[in-house]
Amino acid sequence: MSETRYKTLRDVPAEEYLLPGSPECAGCGAQLVLRIFLKALGGDAVLVNAAGCLTLLNVYPYTPLKLNWMYTAFASAPAGAQGIRDALDILIEKGKITPKEDLKVVTFTGDGAAYDIGLHAASGAIARGLDFYYLVYDNEAYSNTGFQTSGATPFATSTKTSQPTTLNPIGHEGVKKDLFEIWRSHKPPYIATIAPSHIVDMLRKIERALKYRGPKLFIAFSPCPPGWGSDTSETVRISKLAVETGVWPLKEAIYGEVRHTFIPKVLKPVEEYLKTQERYKHLFHPRRQEKVIKTIQENINQYWQKVREKEKLE
Amino acid sequence: MLKIRFHGRGGQGVKTSSRILGRAAFLDGYIAQDSPIYGAERRGAPVVAFTRISREPILERGYIFDPDIVIVVDETLLDDERARPLDGVKSGGIVFVNTQSEQAQVENVDDKLFIKYSITDAALRVIGKPIVSSPSAAAAAKITGIISKESIIQATIDELSELGLAEEALERNLRLVSEVFDTIPTPQLKILNGETTPREVIQLEYKGVIYEDIVNVGNASLRRVGNWRIFKPIVDYQKCTGCMLCFVYCPDSVISLDAKNKPIIDYENCKGCLICVKECPLHAITAVREVKIYA
Repeated sequence: MSETRYKTLRDVPAEEYLLPGSPECAGCGAQLVLRIFLKALGGDAVLVNAAGCLTLLNVYPYTPLKLNWMYTAFASAPAGAQGIRDALDILIEKGKITPKEDLKVVTFTGDGAAYDIGLHAASGAIARGLDFYYLVYDNEAYSNTGFQTSGATPFATSTKTSQPTTLNPIGHEGVKKDLFEIWRSHKPPYIATIAPSHIVDMLRKIERALKYRGPKLFIAFSPCPPGWGSDTSETVRISKLAVETGVWPLKEAIYGEVRHTFIPKVLKPVEEYLKTQERYKHLFHPRRQEKVIKTIQENINQYWQKVREKEKLE
Repeated sequence: MLKIRFHGRGGQGVKTSSRILGRAAFLDGYIAQDSPIYGAERRGAPVVAFTRISREPILERGYIFDPDIVIVVDETLLDDERARPLDGVKSGGIVFVNTQSEQAQVENVDDKLFIKYSITDAALRVIGKPIVSSPSAAAAAKITGIISKESIIQATIDELSELGLAEEALERNLRLVSEVFDTIPTPQLKILNGETTPREVIQLEYKGVIYEDIVNVGNASLRRVGNWRIFKPIVDYQKCTGCMLCFVYCPDSVISLDAKNKPIIDYENCKGCLICVKECPLHAITAVREVKIYA
């Protein structure tokens, strides 16, 4: 692997760009991800946000951010990023700002905007080769409005709009969209999945992305205590379990070439992960839904089987 | 008509409290109405909920400006300029404050009656979690003096089952409701001719620098969200080795490091998520029950 300034947690930059006092919930996984993300990116960035939980960071007249921030409509954060990028380019061309004063344009949205409502805008921006960063904090539902099913909601999750019932004890019957693969089909310079438990991995990925011009995309696992029904203190633990059980693969794709940055030697049983959250409680109470749990486990096994076979070939 | 106003923070469940109380009144043969108000913010932000109880049809709608009874579920709201829970309470009205007090204490302050009791501690004892929605409804029901214990229990069952609460959790909620109902006294409401405390209109001082305040980066720390906490993380500096894990995993940037990489916690803005307590490999950080006393 190439040179990195991030070897251990001691290398986490001390400078904060997200200061205390935000209105986000205690133990917010998304906010933890954004905090670390901005540390790695540095202070020369401008943020573009679409409707979602983290929109609430800025409630008039307060902001916890040290950076400039623009709010767009739900579907158009990548379009907003295009506008800012163009404006910066024009300012540089006209000599109004020096290339040194240039800013990184960072879009951050939740999974609702990324997987569903703004998918087309992101697709357009990636296809145009827009030079921007896109951070998705994926809490696997519309958490901001009370936890309704989104395109990112995994199979058998209980959400406000997929409550388990006697007729359908499974909960959400659909599957989680594979946004990584949707984006990868555009062959952008950099895509990665990140998790707030694996901080060094996250920092290194952002460091690698800094070298590329064009779309640099990140999907972040973001535990949501009120939506997932987990204790606020469990956020990092759940993230760790998601990676160790294989639910959340840590990987990157450079110009479409996939590489896993962490391959668990032995997968922990997915049950360990599911049991940490109320949104999967119906799989165990009042009676155990063996078939559903098995399906979830088999899907994970199959995914990693393919990964291992591919690694062996290389 | 009896007007009850609940003040809490997002996540504490005052909306549910007002619903349970409304349903209980309905079960006792009254006409009841309940509604919540909340803004764009989430957990921790001030939330208000209302219940109106009457023998006659209720024609009034919206915010209750002149409550007979106010239930303050989170005592830190008493200092919150945005919440102002005591505004408009009728002369002779009753204010319930959830504060560190093991016995229910009753005292007269000015022309109002204050009842103090820690439903949070009762909840921690009975449920094991600081669930304050159902016990707040029980306290309010008892204070009204017109709602039976059977009805408040039945209303709790109905409302919490609707929310999909598991049987065991419901069972514990009922035990708590029953306990709180028995503990809280029923003082006599002495509303004097419906007279209310005049509402204070806040004049925002215009200093001509509001714009500057907005572009002041990171001014959110002025919000002091530390009063959301129920448990407080305390560092044992003897045990701490300065591994930095707590600093890294704090979602709210409230942990900074000293020269020896040991954590300094900004308690004004620590929300008490306790990730640091869970992640500390040496168990050098412990969670201690936050004590705030409304005197």
